[in-house]
Amino acid sequence: METAIIIESLPKFLDGTLVTLQITVLSVILGFILSVPLSIMRVSKNPFIKTPVYCFNFYFRGTPLLVQIFLIYYGSGQFQSFLTDVGLWQFFREAYFCAVLSLTLNTAAYTSEIFRGGIQGVPVGEIEAARACGMSGTLLYRRIIMPAALRIAWPAYTNEVVFLLQASSLVSIITLMDITGVARVVSARSFAFYELFLTAAGIYLVLVYGVIFVFKRVEKRITAHLNPSMLTS
Amino acid sequence: MNTKKKDVIRVESLYKKFGQMEVLKGISMEAGEGDVIALIGSSGSGKSTFLRCMNLLEIPSAGDIFVGGEQIKLKQNRQGLMVPQDRKQVDRIRTRLAMVFQHFNLWSHMTVLENIIEAPVHVLKRPKQEAKEMAMALLEKVGIAHRADYFPSQLSGGQQQRAAIARALAMEPDVLLFDEPTSALDPELVGEVLRVMQDLVKEGRTMIVATHEMGFAREVSSKVVFLDKGVIEAQGSPDYIFGSPDSERCRQFLANLI
Repeated sequence: METAIIIESLPKFLDGTLVTLQITVLSVILGFILSVPLSIMRVSKNPFIKTPVYCFNFYFRGTPLLVQIFLIYYGSGQFQSFLTDVGLWQFFREAYFCAVLSLTLNTAAYTSEIFRGGIQGVPVGEIEAARACGMSGTLLYRRIIMPAALRIAWPAYTNEVVFLLQASSLVSIITLMDITGVARVVSARSFAFYELFLTAAGIYLVLVYGVIFVFKRVEKRITAHLNPSMLTS
Repeated sequence: MNTKKKDVIRVESLYKKFGQMEVLKGISMEAGEGDVIALIGSSGSGKSTFLRCMNLLEIPSAGDIFVGGEQIKLKQNRQGLMVPQDRKQVDRIRTRLAMVFQHFNLWSHMTVLENIIEAPVHVLKRPKQEAKEMAMALLEKVGIAHRADYFPSQLSGGQQQRAAIARALAMEPDVLLFDEPTSALDPELVGEVLRVMQDLVKEGRTMIVATHEMGFAREVSSKVVFLDKGVIEAQGSPDYIFGSPDSERCRQFLANLI
């Protein structure tokens, strides 16, 4: 094993790690913001509200992420003149933008299904109690349903974020120099595939562990009501 | 006793159907200020449904409900089902009818104190500090002030139900609706909840209580209503109902309890 090549390429891997983190964090945040209203629309009884979300989720969960990335990055070229007219071409010609967009839409679809499960898992009695106090609509969702649903959905959501972090490695295929991108480029020049992808794997492992650590801390905090230890006092 | 009291809640010929099954078949009832009405009857007689219709947790199929003289406006939707005409009105009326549920239904992710100030702060728009002080006074009254910062899952059933009663009182409602408040409790915990309810009766609160606790109905209610198969089979003072009611069905029901 050529440790020299690993040490030599560490600065590049550091840059790659920043790219991976940026893309993942952006997509997670944007995907979360999208998925909350999507999940609420998804449980609506009104077909005009729930069907569009159903179709959106059907596509983004039913096709491979890599295909979605290609469609957005290479496919948008088909509509170059239109996108230029509406002033969006400057975004779509950037691989970075296309990567974040595909990851965001993809995770929004999965996350909204996870949150839908959470919403449907909120005890009916707790919702009735809120209604009986005069709560309805946005207030009911904001104060009672979503806080309860997020707690139920949190462990599954942790999985989705871990999955997204790993899936972000696909953006290396559309020229981005994330962790996988760095490993690909450097190994193509040096033929030290084993060393470089081992390094990449190690970095992902550390990042994933970090995500799990943070999410576990949050989980402990928000599910304190399930912890019976206070009973003894 | 016949002084005309102001009706706090009045129900006129209420019907409720679930699909083909008719659960309530024309029930009329009114409660004046300070009345304590016990709804009794076997399971499936329609007590709970009747109570839940009063605050529109179930929408009646027909009939009129007046709260403080104001009629709850209903209309028919395209499927021919009744729906509220004005959701804002329903929300407003619900703040005046507080409900205590059989299974407590405290919000499990909030502490007891947070449960109690939730609706006063976010629905009635009370200042948080004021709501907290009031909540602590109420918790003191129901005897669980020392559990204010606990989560519902960390309390016994009786404590949870007392917290739920405090949550209902925090809305300063005109009427308290109790839906079998002691039916989910261990026998030894029933007493502590009934004592709190008796205190409320002494304060002169208007209460409608669906219950299987005949002792409570007999001793503290001002009127007992016996429901059977969706109709009021017998009603009157506790002495009358538990003495010699004219209804054969009512006598049977009470005889079976002992």
